[in-house]
Amino acid sequence: MFRRVLILVSLCACAGPGLTQDLSTIQIHGFATQGFLYSSANNYLSANTSAGSFAWNDGAVSVSDTLSDKLRVGIQLHMYQLGDLGGANVQVDWATGDYKLNEQLGFRAGKFKIPIGLYNDSQDVDAVHLWALLPQSVYPTDNRSFTLSAMGGEFYGSEKLGQKAGTLIYRAYAGYRPLDRSGGYVKSLNLELEGLDASFGLPVTPITAAPTGNVFGGDLRWQTPWKGLLIGSSAFAEDAQGSAGAVAFRVVRNTVTQQYAQFERGRFFVAAEVRRMPASLFLTATTAGGLVVIPYPIDFRSWYAMTSYRVTEKLQVGTYYSHFVDAGGGEDTALISNYSRDWTVSARYDFNSYFYGKLEEHFIHGTDLGYYPDSNPNGEKPRSNVLAAKIGFSF
Amino acid sequence: MKKRRLSILIFGVVLSCAAVQTQSHAQNVVVIVNSGVRATAASSDDIRGIFTGDKSSLGDGSPVTPVTLKGGPTHEAFLKTYVGKGDAAFRTGWRNLVFTGQGSMPKTFDSEAALVDYVAATPGAIGYVSKGTDVGRAKTLAVR
Repeated sequence: MFRRVLILVSLCACAGPGLTQDLSTIQIHGFATQGFLYSSANNYLSANTSAGSFAWNDGAVSVSDTLSDKLRVGIQLHMYQLGDLGGANVQVDWATGDYKLNEQLGFRAGKFKIPIGLYNDSQDVDAVHLWALLPQSVYPTDNRSFTLSAMGGEFYGSEKLGQKAGTLIYRAYAGYRPLDRSGGYVKSLNLELEGLDASFGLPVTPITAAPTGNVFGGDLRWQTPWKGLLIGSSAFAEDAQGSAGAVAFRVVRNTVTQQYAQFERGRFFVAAEVRRMPASLFLTATTAGGLVVIPYPIDFRSWYAMTSYRVTEKLQVGTYYSHFVDAGGGEDTALISNYSRDWTVSARYDFNSYFYGKLEEHFIHGTDLGYYPDSNPNGEKPRSNVLAAKIGFSF
Repeated sequence: MKKRRLSILIFGVVLSCAAVQTQSHAQNVVVIVNSGVRATAASSDDIRGIFTGDKSSLGDGSPVTPVTLKGGPTHEAFLKTYVGKGDAAFRTGWRNLVFTGQGSMPKTFDSEAALVDYVAATPGAIGYVSKGTDVGRAKTLAVR
């Protein structure tokens, strides 16, 4: 599929005489970051953070070309490392042909970033955020491939609602999504499967092919007539399936919903989002005694509120509170293993137009997000503070 | 009571100063377009939308491509007046579009003369210069 996307983009870029190629319209941009994580207790995000870990970096290069005032093509390659996750494999972050007919209607085809809420499509672009880690309740860094991008198509546009009613901005999409085989979702599944294989006396077989599934959904946002105020809502329907040896897994089609609002005026910024993800995961094991089906009901309820202030042109500070509970299957949400709360304070300093640094402290209570049993073999403590520092370069 | 009146008076003076300052920024910057662009005027909402990447055409449907100065007082005055952001926030907004596959970074110029030359020679280009700059074959756009 990646090959098909690449071929499509290449064909567009080399399209015939009607689209005379002008090299001056080609743009190349990129970014690279190096981070450091240190936690007071528990190893966070699969890295050895209790000893301090530099295993946190990422980088991307994008190439795009404007072939006419309506047609643009581009591709972005991305790689990351976060503890055990990611690695040296370069992934196509997005690769699209983009035809904008007018303000009301445009199309993108190829691999596109999925619009959910304020930051889903930019959650892997560190250079554009104040935060070293976005609120993990809504944008879990270790699990971002679950919603990040899809192969297929989308249409987008905006409609001005008269002189005094603001503007509606809309996007709708449908496609196919392979999950990142080196990401947190597959790692978590592998750990579950390992236990399942062992309990049924099956040979332990990890997932070797990326789980896949279909997605469709949309995002509608209203740029209100009150300067700086934006409100919106997104819906994301998805399913996923895959297998590993004698065990198959399937996420039944479900819909993630997200509502959000942001207000920006001068140096001041405030935003909040609420996400709900009710889903059913089934593990099906073929054992000597027959077929065994194990249901995993999920009901993720998350929200966060953030605010930031640009003290000077170079210095920005902010804080957020991020809240997550899993109420799936009537679980007791008061148990520390079923929630995660995170108070964060953060600062970003832009040394110049290209280089920046970030310093952030997280005060985390609850263990339902960001911890893996194999990184914390002696169990997890209910509270942990995490220091996150990052330097980045963007051009 | 006197204290309250004094506070209201001070607040009023501060607001007036801010309004006068914004107006003077606006008066110091003019928006220019390639002479092939049909429109002769645009709303400030259109200008904001075009320079934040939300829009790619003027109110009458004329497609335009923004170009900017790399920095300096004219650039800062333009951003403050029409975009409502500082330079760092402005560039972050464009990076967001570029790295999510939704836009291309505006071409930037070291000098107003170079920007004027580019706008004059490039169909659909839209930029800004300080008032009084010779705009050559480019066209000044009235902003309402």
